[in-house]
Amino acid sequence: MERFENAVEVLKNNLEDAILEFRIPKPRKAYILLKPERHRDAISLLLKHIENAELSTITGTDLGNEIELNYHMACGGTVTLKNRVPREKPVIRTITDILPGANLYEREVFDLLGVIFDGHPNLKRLMLPENWRKGEYPLRRDWEPHANQEIGSTSEETSQTESAGELDEAGSIINVVVGPQHPVLHEPERFSFKVDGETVVDVEMRLGYVHRGIEKAAERMMFFQDVFLVERICGICNAAHTTCFCQAVEDIGNIETPPRALYLRTIIHELNRVHSHLLLLGVAGHLLGFEALFQHVWRDREPIMDIIERITGNRLMSGFNTIGGVRRDLGPNIVEKARKNVEEVRKRAKFYNKVFEEDPTLRLRTEGVGILSKSDALKLCVTGPVARGSGIDLDVRKDDPYAAYGEIPFNVVSYKECDTWARLMVRAEEVLESLDIIDYALSHIPSGRLRVRVQRKQPEGEAVSRVEAPRGELIYYVKSDGTAYPYRVKVRSPTLANLVAFPEIIKGSYIADIPAVIGSFDPCFSCTDRMVFLDTQNGKSWHWSLEEVNNSKNRIGDLNGS
Amino acid sequence: MALDLTFIVRTLIFPGFTFLLVLVLFFDWFERKVAARFQNRMGPTYTGPLGILQPIADYIKLFSKEDITPKQTNKLLFVAAPILAFSLFVFALFYIPIDGSNVVLNSSFEGDLILVLLLISLANFGIFLSGWASLNPYSGIGATRILTQFLGYDIPLIILAIGPAFLAKSLSLVNITASQTLPFALLIPWSCVLFIIVLQAELEKDPFDIPHAETEIVGGYETEYSGRKLAFIKLSEDFQFLIGAALVTELFLGGSHGPVLFGMPELWHITWFIVKTLGVAFFLEYIGNVAARMRIDQVVHGNWKLLIPLSLLSLALTVIIEPLLRSVIG
Amino acid sequence: MAKLRLPSMIKDVGSCIFKKPFTREYPAVKVEVPEGYRGRHTFDPEKCISCGLCERDCPSKAIELVEVSGKRMPTFYLDRCIFCYQCVESCPREAIKLSTNFEMATTDKKDLLITPEEFISQKKFNPDEEKKHVA
Repeated sequence: MERFENAVEVLKNNLEDAILEFRIPKPRKAYILLKPERHRDAISLLLKHIENAELSTITGTDLGNEIELNYHMACGGTVTLKNRVPREKPVIRTITDILPGANLYEREVFDLLGVIFDGHPNLKRLMLPENWRKGEYPLRRDWEPHANQEIGSTSEETSQTESAGELDEAGSIINVVVGPQHPVLHEPERFSFKVDGETVVDVEMRLGYVHRGIEKAAERMMFFQDVFLVERICGICNAAHTTCFCQAVEDIGNIETPPRALYLRTIIHELNRVHSHLLLLGVAGHLLGFEALFQHVWRDREPIMDIIERITGNRLMSGFNTIGGVRRDLGPNIVEKARKNVEEVRKRAKFYNKVFEEDPTLRLRTEGVGILSKSDALKLCVTGPVARGSGIDLDVRKDDPYAAYGEIPFNVVSYKECDTWARLMVRAEEVLESLDIIDYALSHIPSGRLRVRVQRKQPEGEAVSRVEAPRGELIYYVKSDGTAYPYRVKVRSPTLANLVAFPEIIKGSYIADIPAVIGSFDPCFSCTDRMVFLDTQNGKSWHWSLEEVNNSKNRIGDLNGS
Repeated sequence: MALDLTFIVRTLIFPGFTFLLVLVLFFDWFERKVAARFQNRMGPTYTGPLGILQPIADYIKLFSKEDITPKQTNKLLFVAAPILAFSLFVFALFYIPIDGSNVVLNSSFEGDLILVLLLISLANFGIFLSGWASLNPYSGIGATRILTQFLGYDIPLIILAIGPAFLAKSLSLVNITASQTLPFALLIPWSCVLFIIVLQAELEKDPFDIPHAETEIVGGYETEYSGRKLAFIKLSEDFQFLIGAALVTELFLGGSHGPVLFGMPELWHITWFIVKTLGVAFFLEYIGNVAARMRIDQVVHGNWKLLIPLSLLSLALTVIIEPLLRSVIG
Repeated sequence: MAKLRLPSMIKDVGSCIFKKPFTREYPAVKVEVPEGYRGRHTFDPEKCISCGLCERDCPSKAIELVEVSGKRMPTFYLDRCIFCYQCVESCPREAIKLSTNFEMATTDKKDLLITPEEFISQKKFNPDEEKKHVA
């Protein structure tokens, strides 16, 4: 908490002349509008004076005749530095020289909104395909998807795949392409590794294969419908996404969530976390060739899914949170069953902790592999277990408490070894911590209402909200213009933050270390790419806008049609 | 040797090619069921009672799939390499006595242990060629890994195999099994344990199954194969497993010798052979399921720095102990 | 190599040979589903007042009001439905209710349309009896 106050002090004292607007509408959330091109000074100040300050994301919003760029800095709370550029000439200086971790965020804003970052080392497309037409920026307010839109020839895309497996001029460097289809990836991405024998020399990543257009789609649906949309960004961390979004909207609308709802949100959030970490430990076993561990861990997360099914009605997609509270209640027999299952899982989790600590073959594969030093981790702005495995004590639940975390005692797990083993151990121990939190919350739930009645329209305003998703820090920025539909919804999921560090780690390692390192990052690419809804079939490109999809002639009711 | 009926029946049907094929499919099913039970799940269940027809169903499926050949490969090498590997493995199996004597009667000779080991090496070279002939970086990496691993671990394998030959004073497998009044696994247990570990590496099973690591290099040397050629490659791997387990049985567990209770001795010999080999297969699968996969450089270092010295030590120990054992047992 | 300690999974994996497999042999064995599971919709035509709130609030536009025997009532398109149950919450007369029927897999698209007719033919309204749509 003191870090936030320090940050505000530092900015007020040193940048008096540059601040145009300064608001702190809610505790630990500051919004500062700066004069043009002064964002670099502000960010350098914060990095110098505040310990463990990181950039969460960069949001671009189309305000009509200006494009507003928000730099969200995480330092105890969230300090949002705003900067506006005119729409006809959207140029701004980059910050990648002071903070390399901003690389991917600036590319995303360039790709989707057309803002040019002066001095960026590699300003290429991030999410949209290479043959997207120039000048079309989907996130601008005047861009509408229209039917039978030509997106250009597909030959440029295919020419990229031909370079797989060619020998370099030096003769010994082979280009190995991993993805979009590969057994090690659960979702499609493309990593292009240059290998020399068994050592990786360089890697190039191409994201955007699961880009679905969620941020644009969220502007077409009402606030309470958007909760279901953001829930489906990621299956495993769905409670985190809905919690974050609902918190942001509740901040805008000044809605007071009842305490019982906060505790229930926390319980489902932690159940999600246990499930996700157990899933990852099993997947790590599978990637390392330890099939028996994989099957055993996946068997042992069934009791958790049973509890989630009893509480929310589905084993995975909880559909539990809504704006103003939660939708269902916890009966007394559910609490009993939940406690029993938690006890069962706790015994097994302790055993798996022992396995990961002691098993010699696992330690052989993960110790000393994929080192990410603490200073590198801070510069690249990684979050979550990846940061905590490198000794950085960052956890949103402790730095910026939300839901019921202010009242529940727990420890933040971090390891100093900075390697793959440390990242896996962080998750294994966090399972035990989460089980303790669930127990405490189940015994101390206050009684009361479940939800408050919320109107469809929300007042004008904006809000930033951060939660600790299982993979790291998840941040949402929601802006409302007084109607029932949001003006802008921006999501930055943790895997995008951590992916920046991946090329740095993998250079100089063996090919055999690639699955171990990817596994320790726990990538969830569905969370990472979230835009575009283009379909190309048979060379002819067509797609439907939302209205056309809903058009009755495309429904199943008319069986003579498609 | 005249081409009489015994020869044809023994070679083609029993205990020749057909019997070996059925045995290999049975071992495949056994391996999968045991691995599944270790992982607390069910394994093959639907095809046939207890899923025993599952391997046959898999091979029928493979034979009926489309056979794709990449355009730029050397077609002769691409097609011939798997067939070469397969035939060498079957040929090696002909020299392992299953029912007391070899498949082709009276064909055992002094040194056929060395012949079996040589044939296995050549067959693995055939597998390497099949990976090399498919011009794919994944296959190339898998093929080089096979060579590195196999040739490296061949050395301790041969050294350790000399131990029982020394005790039996003969290099013929028939004589080695015949001279085991007490199984050698009890007399020189360290040799047996080391042999099993080295065998895990030869057979490319966990924790040494790097050439197969699907999460790293897709399919390794079998990435480009499909249809019938893939069936040949898979069959060769299964035959190799049988040869490995059979070698352990012959060298350390007394082969097909065992108490004959009633009826034909032939039947009992075969039964004992199968039971012992199944036991070895169970144990190999167990080791495979409790360890993660090791990296290629760790495998290579483990070989040169650990296993070769240990196997030399074990051979020396066997030679030293031999007079003592001879005086005790006779 | 690392310290020579035996892998801790040895005992665990070995003891699994003697345990029953964890697999539930569905569909030979029936699965018990807790109440409150978000399954197939059930609908009471007598309670419906044709307000259209369910159609307006559905996030994926899976409900459409059609005219059946003189009254406008909802049909549900199961291939668009995300089973969020917002319609259950929005209905002011609780005409839409949940059931625990989850076996909705089918190869015929006609089965994915829940029309009011199938509920009108029923004399009594019983949400647990909606099991006849197993493919």
